[in-house]
Amino acid sequence: MSEGLPLVRCSGAARTYGKGPTATVALQATYCEVFAGQRIGLVGPSGSGKSTLLHLMAGLDDPTVGDVSWPAIGTRDELRPGRVAVIFQGPSLLPPLTVLENTSLPLVIGGMTDKDAREVAHTALRTLDLDVLADKLPEEISGGQAQRVAVARALAGEPTLILADEPTGQLDRASGAAVVEVLLGASEHAGSALLISTHDMTVAERLPERWEMHSGEIQTDTREAQWSR
Amino acid sequence: MVALSWLRGLVTHRPTRPLATALGVAVGVALIASIGTFLSSTNSKMTHRAIARVSIDWQVEAQPGASPADLLSKVSTFPGVTRALAVQFAGSPSFTATTQGSTQTTGAARVLGLPAGYATAFPGELRLLSGSLSGVLVAQQTASNLHVVPGSTVTIARPGTTPTNVTVAGVVDLPYADSLFQHVGAPPGAQAQAPPDNVLLLPQSTFNQVEAPILAKRPELIKTQIHASLSHALANSPSAAFDDVVSRARNLESRLTGTGLVGDNLGTALDTARQDALYAQILFLFLGVPGAILAGLVTALIASAGADRRRRDSALLRTRGASTRTLVRIALAETVFAGVIGVLAGLGAALLIGKSSFGTASFGAGTVSAVLWALGAAIVGLLIAAGSIALPALRDARSLTVAGQRRQIGRTARGPLWARYGLDFIFLAIAGFIYWQASQNGYQLVLAPEGVAQVSVNWYALLAPVLGWIGAGLLVYRLADLVLSRGRIPLTGALRPLAGELAPTVASTMSRQRRLLSRAVALVALTAAFAGSTSVFNSTYRAQAEADARLSNGADVAVTESPGASVGVAQGIAQLKQIRGVGSVEPLQHRYAYIGADLQDLFGVRPGTITTAGKLQNGWFQGGSAADLMKIIAKDPSAILVSAETVKDYQLHRGDTLNLRLQNGQTKQLTTVPFHYEGVAKEFPTAPKDSFFVANQSYVAAKTGSDAVGSFLVQTDGTNPAVVAKRISSVVGSSAAVTDIVNQRVVVGSNLTAVELSGLTRIELGFALVLAAAATGLALGLGFQERRRTFAIASALGARSRQLGGFVWGESAFVTGGGLVLGAVMAGVLSITLVHVLTGVFDPPPDALSIPWGYLIGVGGAVIATVLLAGIITLRALRRPAIEELRDL
Repeated sequence: MSEGLPLVRCSGAARTYGKGPTATVALQATYCEVFAGQRIGLVGPSGSGKSTLLHLMAGLDDPTVGDVSWPAIGTRDELRPGRVAVIFQGPSLLPPLTVLENTSLPLVIGGMTDKDAREVAHTALRTLDLDVLADKLPEEISGGQAQRVAVARALAGEPTLILADEPTGQLDRASGAAVVEVLLGASEHAGSALLISTHDMTVAERLPERWEMHSGEIQTDTREAQWSR
Repeated sequence: MVALSWLRGLVTHRPTRPLATALGVAVGVALIASIGTFLSSTNSKMTHRAIARVSIDWQVEAQPGASPADLLSKVSTFPGVTRALAVQFAGSPSFTATTQGSTQTTGAARVLGLPAGYATAFPGELRLLSGSLSGVLVAQQTASNLHVVPGSTVTIARPGTTPTNVTVAGVVDLPYADSLFQHVGAPPGAQAQAPPDNVLLLPQSTFNQVEAPILAKRPELIKTQIHASLSHALANSPSAAFDDVVSRARNLESRLTGTGLVGDNLGTALDTARQDALYAQILFLFLGVPGAILAGLVTALIASAGADRRRRDSALLRTRGASTRTLVRIALAETVFAGVIGVLAGLGAALLIGKSSFGTASFGAGTVSAVLWALGAAIVGLLIAAGSIALPALRDARSLTVAGQRRQIGRTARGPLWARYGLDFIFLAIAGFIYWQASQNGYQLVLAPEGVAQVSVNWYALLAPVLGWIGAGLLVYRLADLVLSRGRIPLTGALRPLAGELAPTVASTMSRQRRLLSRAVALVALTAAFAGSTSVFNSTYRAQAEADARLSNGADVAVTESPGASVGVAQGIAQLKQIRGVGSVEPLQHRYAYIGADLQDLFGVRPGTITTAGKLQNGWFQGGSAADLMKIIAKDPSAILVSAETVKDYQLHRGDTLNLRLQNGQTKQLTTVPFHYEGVAKEFPTAPKDSFFVANQSYVAAKTGSDAVGSFLVQTDGTNPAVVAKRISSVVGSSAAVTDIVNQRVVVGSNLTAVELSGLTRIELGFALVLAAAATGLALGLGFQERRRTFAIASALGARSRQLGGFVWGESAFVTGGGLVLGAVMAGVLSITLVHVLTGVFDPPPDALSIPWGYLIGVGGAVIATVLLAGIITLRALRRPAIEELRDL
């Protein structure tokens, strides 16, 4: 059990897409909390609701029922840039910007000068051995490299909460392991909470906690219960 | 099958994509089909107008030895002739009249014998000014020369016998004197320069009495003409009607076997109309084709907004095993769908436009023509759809790999091929050269040499504006590309007010999308130039048509005193000023003055007020502006303005003394009055097209002992001139002829006015507005829509609406601002070129361009409004990241 206010709290949060007979329940009423320093592996098959839960926790989507709050961070408007970083499973780099510009973008959005943001971004890219790609466009690098750039972009802002949606899905085993290592190191270094959704058990096993999802519900808690009903 | 399934999915889930293309196709099709309707309506109106302007369709002149009765019979029974009457022409050495104790004698004169019912059979040939049409009629100028009025006696000198007297019943104007007194059978260059000054028109019985001695002794001195009217059920096209009438005239001549020659007035009028029809086609080229091309380009731009998604879709299909053929089929299915919907919508819109603007819902003059226009418009529509969807898809399917099709940006280190070869500069240089060269010859676009049956277009001269338009469009692309690729630092600075700290990022984004943005800037500029130049041309044309009408009528209302009337300045002004609706009254003296043996009109003006009252234009004069020359006349009352022809004929130099002979108002004798030649008047209110003088009214009055005014130019106080004219008519009665500018516009309008140019330009201006809005708002909006994913990512990274706005407004400002500014420059140059190139349309030529600020501000406003709307809608949609986009991330 972590101390202090939770970074994010889901209180019966559920998400249904569509209406009427074609409505799809992506996430059942969910109760959970994530505290600073926690490192959680969110596992489950495709369509189990992992991405939906991450989007709700990141404040990118609203629950159709229930509530999501960020007691230790503030309101939804205060989540980004800086406090909560999201790493998506698909290509998420802006096509017209170079790798360096993509990495520095959240920092500039956060108010840093362009020059300072570039320096910080360079450092983040170097951490993942990506600095040689700095001037490339997203379409000029591989999918795996793009995913690692997305990780570097997320870490550059030293966020409080890192939400990674299948960050190793497009990577080979070695690269995937390296990315997880970087994420763990970064979260430990900054004391950030880390939640990685994955269907790769080797990734999940690297994380101290594991939540399993099935049919839109968190099934079991492999560690001690982190949420109350 | 795959193609159909794909199409079904596209229509169900992404209907905006094919529908936006269909909309562009519809605009292009509607524009072309509307122009078809315009040309159909125009041709028909030109033909009818040409017919309406002819009083006597054919003048068949009996040749020596021919029997007039036989000729009349043959002409009357010729197919298509609806009425024929025999008119006789005789000559007289002079007419003489004695009035108020003074005797006037004219020079050589003509006497006509008119059969009963002539005035009714050929309405318009005789315009009664005073008296009655029953009896002996005297032409207006003859009445002036002899000082006769109805009731006066005129003595007709007869060669070889004693003179005889006739009593004048009425004074008439002969509006078609040129054709009435034509030399039948002579080529155009051999016709008399002016109709005879002295003419008496006698009833047939009187003519027979007067000319009986001549007929007995020298019958060859009396000519007979058969004046005929034809059935006017002619082809709508002036050219076809011309061919028909001319061949019928030839046929009649062949049937007459040398006993008669046909003076084909109707053919001559239709010949002019077919030249105007050719001008109408050129107008179509200038005003219609660029619009259709723009519609195609705008559609391509709109379609290209979805090109990335289309490429990604293709890449996905490729990975699922789709062959190139399948991809092509899918693209063709989308093309056909968008094309057919667009064509149907466009043709429907054109029918509605045609009905409302031209009163016709047909695309052509006849069935074949209508089908061809509709088919042509449909083919153009399908080509636009193919060029926008099928062609890029085909190119991609054949040349790109799956990885390549996924690419969205691509580095654009090298410019397009045309830019590397400087095609824009080459086009502009050639256009400039042709313009200069053609200007040396007065820019004759429609070539209609006298005596040549065919009229043709100088296509070479047309190349100047065409190449100029293309070259300028390419140059705009080059400039926009240059700013985006080389001007990153100033661009960042310019974007800072909109994008704040994100300005460098926005500048980078724009720079990497510079091909798309440069294309959009060029298109906005071309659209703005199209809208601008069309509206300026239209406005200038309208202004000149108004000037032409004003030139003919002189003012809102012109009150022309009857010959012989002697109305003084003060008396006339006092009488007219009392009438409700009259704003100002300007007296204009009208006299006849002899220069050598030539008789010309002389206009006496008040130099202090005529510039404003007559709305004189500088282009009507040479040797100074209108105001300058009037100042000279005011300062030196003996100063006179003459026609260029007179200057040439009499070898005049500025300051030369010009002795004119004018009639003294008291003695009625001609007296010599000295003037000084000080400038050239090419046009003047109420003046004839050929030679005339303009002099100081007070000087003329002093030297001739009479301040009698020929006409009063009345400007209304804003009341409809036709209404004021009616009121004046009821006051002055038959003592003066009252004409108003409202009716004059109809009378003097050239055939090209009948072209319904206003209808064409209304369509053009409407389409220009739609295209301008589509080129900016729709293209930008769809582009933003296609980049929702990019914005969703930026939003997920924490970008606020204001920061996303930096991207949206930065691009919008660059495309709209750059396009409008460069488009305005293009519009300025194109307008000058258009007015110069189409100078044949203008009569008189304009002094300066007339700029319709209201419309231009409206277009600019519409463009900015659609851009703002597109931006606001985009940003509202981005308040929260698009969930479907995030689910793909």
